[in-house]
Amino acid sequence: MSTTAKVVSESFKPALIIPWVTIGIIAYFCLPWLALEYGLTDATFDEFVDALAWRKNGATIVVPFFFLMFLIAPRLVRSGIQCGWLYTCLSAFFILATFAYFITENLSMGLGTAVILLAFSALFAIGIAEIGFQRGDRFIAGSVIFVILLVCVFIFFPIWTIFQTLLYNSDGSFAPFQFYQIVTAFGVGRVILNTLLLAMSVGAATTLFGLIFALYSTRATSPLRYVIRVFYILPIITPPFVVGMALILLFGRAGMINDGLMFLFGPEGILLQGAFTRSGYIYGFWGIFLAQTLSLTPIAYMVLNGMLATINPAMEEAALTMRAGRWETLRDVTLPLLRPGIANAFLLCMISSAADFGNPLVLGGDYDVLSTEIYFSIAGAQLDFAKASALGVLLLVLSLSVFVIQKKWVGQKSYVTVTGVQTAGNVIPLPGRLQKILSAFVLVWLLLVGILYFSIFLGGFVKQWGADYTLTIAHHKELWLGGFASGAWPSFINSLIFAFIAAPITALIGILIAYIISRKKFFGKGIIDFGTVLIFAIPGTVTGVAYILAFNTPPVELTGTAAILIITMAIRAMPVGIRGGMSALSQISESLEEASVLQRAGSLKTIRSVLIPLIRSTIVSSTAYSFIRSMTTVSAVIFLATAGTNVATTYILSRVESGDTGIAVAYGSILILTMLLFTLAVEVITGRSRVEKQVKTI
Amino acid sequence: MKPGETNITITLSKVFKRFDEVTALEDINVVFEAGTLTTLLGPSGCGKTTLLRIVSGLETVSGGEILFGNENVTDLSATRRDVGMVFQSYALFPHMTVEQNVGYGLGVLKTPQEKIKEQVKVVLDMVNLAGYQARYPDELSGGQQQRVAVARALILEPKVLLFDEPLSNIDSKLRRSMREEIRHLQKSTGITSIYVTHDQSEALAVSDEVVVMKDGRILQKGPPRSLYHRPESAFVANFIGESNVVEALLVNGTDGNRVELGGIELALPDSMHIPAKPGMVKLSLRPEVIHIEAKSDDKDPDCLAGIVTESAYMGPVIEYSVKTAIGDLFTRGPAYETQHLKGEQVRVRVRPDEIIVIPASSE
Repeated sequence: MSTTAKVVSESFKPALIIPWVTIGIIAYFCLPWLALEYGLTDATFDEFVDALAWRKNGATIVVPFFFLMFLIAPRLVRSGIQCGWLYTCLSAFFILATFAYFITENLSMGLGTAVILLAFSALFAIGIAEIGFQRGDRFIAGSVIFVILLVCVFIFFPIWTIFQTLLYNSDGSFAPFQFYQIVTAFGVGRVILNTLLLAMSVGAATTLFGLIFALYSTRATSPLRYVIRVFYILPIITPPFVVGMALILLFGRAGMINDGLMFLFGPEGILLQGAFTRSGYIYGFWGIFLAQTLSLTPIAYMVLNGMLATINPAMEEAALTMRAGRWETLRDVTLPLLRPGIANAFLLCMISSAADFGNPLVLGGDYDVLSTEIYFSIAGAQLDFAKASALGVLLLVLSLSVFVIQKKWVGQKSYVTVTGVQTAGNVIPLPGRLQKILSAFVLVWLLLVGILYFSIFLGGFVKQWGADYTLTIAHHKELWLGGFASGAWPSFINSLIFAFIAAPITALIGILIAYIISRKKFFGKGIIDFGTVLIFAIPGTVTGVAYILAFNTPPVELTGTAAILIITMAIRAMPVGIRGGMSALSQISESLEEASVLQRAGSLKTIRSVLIPLIRSTIVSSTAYSFIRSMTTVSAVIFLATAGTNVATTYILSRVESGDTGIAVAYGSILILTMLLFTLAVEVITGRSRVEKQVKTI
Repeated sequence: MKPGETNITITLSKVFKRFDEVTALEDINVVFEAGTLTTLLGPSGCGKTTLLRIVSGLETVSGGEILFGNENVTDLSATRRDVGMVFQSYALFPHMTVEQNVGYGLGVLKTPQEKIKEQVKVVLDMVNLAGYQARYPDELSGGQQQRVAVARALILEPKVLLFDEPLSNIDSKLRRSMREEIRHLQKSTGITSIYVTHDQSEALAVSDEVVVMKDGRILQKGPPRSLYHRPESAFVANFIGESNVVEALLVNGTDGNRVELGGIELALPDSMHIPAKPGMVKLSLRPEVIHIEAKSDDKDPDCLAGIVTESAYMGPVIEYSVKTAIGDLFTRGPAYETQHLKGEQVRVRVRPDEIIVIPASSE
């Protein structure tokens, strides 16, 4: 061991800690120690100065001395390991002491404190790396600490506050039966049943339709199949509730179908008088069902299409050589091979349906589900946080258990062995009659989707849908031509800025998490694993409630700021980054990184020179996709957006609630158009870079 | 690189490795002599690659110590261990040119660009790839990629060179010349090298010493010749070359040692080393010590009777499987002789001076 210690201390340079010490000291002197009442950008200079740490007497004076101790420490000890222990203990003590200070004093941390804590976390990572964590790899040690902190502060802590709200009364006394009392006080059974019934129906329908589309796009011979391959991007770029809005335009009380039926069968109908009265049949189960099926089928399609593409055609050919017809082959070989994919698609769509908030909000009517119930317990002047928490726990447990089933049970089962060997063989076309039936189905579907989107765009240009179909640009004029301070602009600009900041953070942290999960083993990895599962499974409404509860009081007070919205968007889109990183890393042989390490490169250099160039396109597409998700998300941000930080989706929903459907769809259509152009631009850019790479390597 | 300058001895003592509950390596004590090339040979799953990765530092040990010379490197990460490695998949960086690949490590060490260019040229010359600097890996053949991988492993003048089945992705004709080149490079640089393979003929051809492994343990270590002629277990006898392992009775008579098998007696030469006590022993009979000849009427007391069960013409030789009283024996005969056909009755003669007696203690 003695030789080891010597080597470590040789490689250890005090210069490593200087940047962090400098950052910490600058933050101490120049950034607010305490949270500012009106946020950093809106505070006056005096308020700003007052919040600085060195203006405070007492405890904060020790902070710079703490940093100085780090500079002196290496001179006091004999080996790198001792120095590591010293760093670890000093920084851990400081971090804990800071939290204790803010909690006992009931103060809110400012930006400066956050930066100082970050600097100490970095010093902590340097310390434990010196002791031997991650075999002295400071970058990985730092990343692990950073991710653990992130997961603790923005996942575990908020979820814990939900439970805390349930365990304690509003006056702070322990109330172990509060949860039970809340959930039995109203018809919670019906709400859960509604949620489950809807989720299962939507899961089944989307899986069936997704299977049809997947089979059709890979196995049909008609040119229609090329159209399918592009239709999956529509729901990605459409805010979740816009499909619901379009359904109202079509099937709503004043919708086209009602109008048409009234025209034919109404009291003054031209065919059969009095056989029909206007109805709101679209509100309720069938409306949500239809909206969710329309918007989630592409998810099922993507899962099953990916699965179909990996089935070795030789297996189907083998069936054909054994005298099986195309029907038998489909029934006995292809579909059984798809079974894990089918289960996967079903469970994924089930989670998405239960978590969906926008469509039930717009179309729900009397049909209440957990996600909207959560919103209504807080929205308006209800502010019943205990009830929202109770329902949030139920929804979380529901989606977490489905997610765990999907991950542990279905995720493991795959009949597909990816060998990397390209097997020649042609896919077997669909049986002729089946293809005809499916063609008709696909055509109807695409027609419906087409009409839906057309009505969204049209809806923005008519005076009053259902009553007065005169074409007008009044809605767009109100939204876009009243200057940047009115109409849609403030929320639109907010959305753009927040998403623009959140997207790269999400992509980078997501890929970092994917890297740590897939490539590293260490003590405490379970925390990151579990945090990741929660990131994937937690429904947006639950995040919203949890964040309101967690970040509305000291020590971390963020509600009302832009920061909380950016963080929410980043966390909500995190699965995109993680999934992208996972699949990209699984394509890259670990021996490339090992080869780099054996060339004396540290992990930071390896990641920079070897990994990042190879996953560049994943980084771009993950960032783009995160941007889109952040722009279109509604479920979590609706709890957190305020008048000053309104975003596009919350603005649209507020106009829907106040009955301005025309304005809402006008805004929605522009949002969809923006996202569409953005997606196309990204496709063009990443497409070109792929070509560049090919040219280079040929 | 001057021979002898970098060579060090690698010592592993009491090394073991567990993955969760599975023991991958058990009580490994082995010394890799300075300047030699040692192969780790064994069937897949025997732990040879794990052992190599433990020496490289890419894998940690669950217990035990690793010494490079006198320096304990057990807790050093791969980056700090000063080893070069040639991966089975070559692991060339696909987005870098040959020059960037080979010069990567020098870049990490902040070597000036002109110096990198210069040194890359030197090692590319060593592996006969002069002028390939600007190519990308996917513009090279498998053999050329292999050479780039070797050049990259050599350029930092490591203390230890590791080869992880370097020839398994190369077609068989090229393999022979590549293996000679590797051997030549290793000899001229004198870097202590460890070479993993599952191909016994590659191991025999390339190494100073061979370590045979099975189920996470080292069965035998020695120069190729001694492993072939003195296998200490039936497994080694079977794994190195081909072998017919049969049971026989060892008798220590007044006139020296004899073995009785299948009703015949064979006198062993006095000079032969017998690592077993009299009694039932296991013998290893190499195909080249077994000769078959057409059956004739006159009985030969030194021959076993047999029936040819398989007879395959292989070009230079004919391979036979012969059923005898001591079991099925595998052997070869020269192709210029008349081929004994399947079902034919033959006489089997065993040359006693080449019989191998397997030590009694082995598995």
